[in-house]
Amino acid sequence: MSSGTFAVLGLFSDAHKIVDAAKQIRPRQLGRLEAYTPYPVHGLDRAIGLAPSPLGRLVMFMGVIGAGLALLFEGWVSAVDYPLVTGGKALFSWQAFVPVMFEVTVLFATFTAGLAMLFAFNKLPFFGHPVLHSQAIKGITRDKLALSIEASSAAFDVEAARQALIDNGAESVEIVPVPAWDRPLSLVGLLRTIAVIVAACVVAGAGLYAAEKLIPIVPPMLHMHNQPKLNAFRESAFFVDGRGMRPAVAGTVARGHLPPAFATPEEAGTLLSNPLPLTQSIAERGRKVFNDHCAICHGLVGNGVPLLSRAYGGKPGNFLSNEIRARPDGHYFGVLMLGKNAMPSYAADLDPDDRWAVVHYIRILQRAQNAKDEDLR
Amino acid sequence: MKAATASLPEALRPLELLQGKVTPGSLDDQVLRFPAERPPRAWYVALAVTLTALGIGGLCICWTLYYGIGTWGNNRPVAWGFGIINFVFWVGIGHAGTLISAILFLLRARWRNAIARFAEAMTIFAVICAAIFPVLHTGRPWFAYWLFPYPNERALWVNFRSPLIWDVFAVTTYFSVSLIYWYLGLVPDFASLRDRTAEGWRKRIYTVLSLGWRGAASHWVHYDKAYLLLAGLATGLVISVHSVVSFDFAVSLVPGWHMTIFPPYFVAGAIFAGFAMVVMALTVVRKTMNLSNLITDNHLDVMNKLILAMSCIMGYAYVMEGGTAWYSANPYIQHTFMNYVSGFYGWAGITTITCNIIIPQIFWFRRMRRSIPAMIFVALAVTLGMWMERFVIIVISLHQDYLPSSWHKYIPTKIDFGILLGSFGLFFTLVLLFARVLPVIATSEMKASLPAEKERQP
Repeated sequence: MSSGTFAVLGLFSDAHKIVDAAKQIRPRQLGRLEAYTPYPVHGLDRAIGLAPSPLGRLVMFMGVIGAGLALLFEGWVSAVDYPLVTGGKALFSWQAFVPVMFEVTVLFATFTAGLAMLFAFNKLPFFGHPVLHSQAIKGITRDKLALSIEASSAAFDVEAARQALIDNGAESVEIVPVPAWDRPLSLVGLLRTIAVIVAACVVAGAGLYAAEKLIPIVPPMLHMHNQPKLNAFRESAFFVDGRGMRPAVAGTVARGHLPPAFATPEEAGTLLSNPLPLTQSIAERGRKVFNDHCAICHGLVGNGVPLLSRAYGGKPGNFLSNEIRARPDGHYFGVLMLGKNAMPSYAADLDPDDRWAVVHYIRILQRAQNAKDEDLR
Repeated sequence: MKAATASLPEALRPLELLQGKVTPGSLDDQVLRFPAERPPRAWYVALAVTLTALGIGGLCICWTLYYGIGTWGNNRPVAWGFGIINFVFWVGIGHAGTLISAILFLLRARWRNAIARFAEAMTIFAVICAAIFPVLHTGRPWFAYWLFPYPNERALWVNFRSPLIWDVFAVTTYFSVSLIYWYLGLVPDFASLRDRTAEGWRKRIYTVLSLGWRGAASHWVHYDKAYLLLAGLATGLVISVHSVVSFDFAVSLVPGWHMTIFPPYFVAGAIFAGFAMVVMALTVVRKTMNLSNLITDNHLDVMNKLILAMSCIMGYAYVMEGGTAWYSANPYIQHTFMNYVSGFYGWAGITTITCNIIIPQIFWFRRMRRSIPAMIFVALAVTLGMWMERFVIIVISLHQDYLPSSWHKYIPTKIDFGILLGSFGLFFTLVLLFARVLPVIATSEMKASLPAEKERQP
């Protein structure tokens, strides 16, 4: 009985011999069998009684998870959160999602295979293992194969293990002691490591944030902003008048803004008639224009009572009065173009269709407020 | 064993993959001596050359960042230019490494063991070189992370129906998988380096990188399984990555791009170019590092046969492109195809065909497959030819598309060439540094495939 012994290592040079030795020693149950080799030795895993690795099933599982997550994510992005029709394809066009699904599957499976193998199954990194500090390790990672009988109980017999290894052809035997330290991780060391990692993350994050905010505006990167073109309201040495923005050629007429062919609303009344048919949508448009622009002074029903306070003092026309009702459609249009009394011109605010639509709406209001019996039937 | 195989015809005999007596110990002494030993003078000369190229490229990149993409030759309609040519070229170079480490591993091609580590490293370096170009090509590389779908304050998402986002996923996956695969293979070698290095900072680095690997049989069980699984997963990537890159072209409607043959054609071309690069680098490395007994003429012979096979596939693909153009009955596609060998850029197409199809045919002769000058000549020709092929595909198709009013010639600038030179400089700098500090041959894999002790006696 020796509490200070971790294992007894027997060194071999030949792969066949170590497999034979393992087969001989295993039934004697001297301790837990393990082998340390510079390369995987075929058959040695079974000879010392290791089960096959379950890694394959885990990788399969994680691969399927990756495929599923990728499909869900792509579907959610493309069909739910940011539905954007491209090329007339369906929003959830799963065929186009296959390449990314495949890549994510491989990514999940690879990370599982590589990292789970190292970190979960083999519990690496681990720098404190007794064998790493043995004499034999230089041979083990070079050309020697070590069969190790490890102390698994208090009844471990070093001498018996040593003898068994020599009897089965070990070239030399080393007794590996339990290392002097018993805590592979100290609390201070752990905290220090975490502190360094956190500090590194903070510095990197702050640096990236600053870089992202600063780089596009610091001088060398400004070239995208400084483009060889004139902005409106900039001065220009090129033109005689010194203005960057060019005035329109004299006589230019904006689309939909022909100057009026009449001098007074009365003249307009004789010249023009409403070109728009009275439909539901035009009436709705007229109502919108009326409520946005007219109702503030003429009132929501057109009765000339402003929505403003009395302090305003103006006397807007009452569309319901007999005098105004009798005027032709063109007259209303003319007032909108030219203005009347305190009312300014709305030529710049409303395009012609808006004006004619609002005339329709005023007619609707007039009829609604002076409804005849047959209108109510 | 030997007597049994001697009666077989030469083609069926297993390859002699070692020269002289090689034991696990001698292998370590030969391969792992480098980090501790000073490299030969040639190494420093080579590094000076590659660093110069890298420096020129770095200056050109700074110039691009300062003045913008306007310093490149890109125009409308040739908006892709060198940025995408070099990207496709470098991603393709990487494919040989993945093919060697994944598909040939699954096929149990024993000759791959000696060259796998080197080819895998080249994969990683090639993908790094490739990544430079699309990132710069975005115009504002500091916003390159916008390529990834992440929740952002602009409430925008990427378009998952676009081949360009498939590309982002394919290339980043390819890089991560290659890196993990490479590192996994390196772990046991790091352990060997750790245990043969004297105390000091170098040993500390190898200790951390080896993660405390101790070669336990209970670890090898999982390790072997993981390696096998990764080989299977990477096999899919060999096929998929360049297929996805080809989708950037094939999914669009540009004449000369919209063809179903593109994915297999691109994959074959990638393996072709990658093998040429591996052969070129290996001939230099095995000479300067005295590894000729491990990377024998037989290895190079097999790789040259693969280059020949890929060359024939490329020839078939070129002919099929013509077939597609003819059968399309579309004058624009036919015009584009004729532009490959005539017209303003006709010389590029003729160079492509000469370098990719005609010159590699000398590998039908065994003497040529085993002659170092011949294989370096072919490898250089294939590298040039495959770069030209991407030039032909991208520039010739784009510069005359379906809209004759927008036709425009493309002339690359000095900055374009400077960045291309810089990418070669970066690639070979990384290769040289890799050869200096890491084992260029996967020793644990080699040891497992060495003949056992009693068969080793001469």
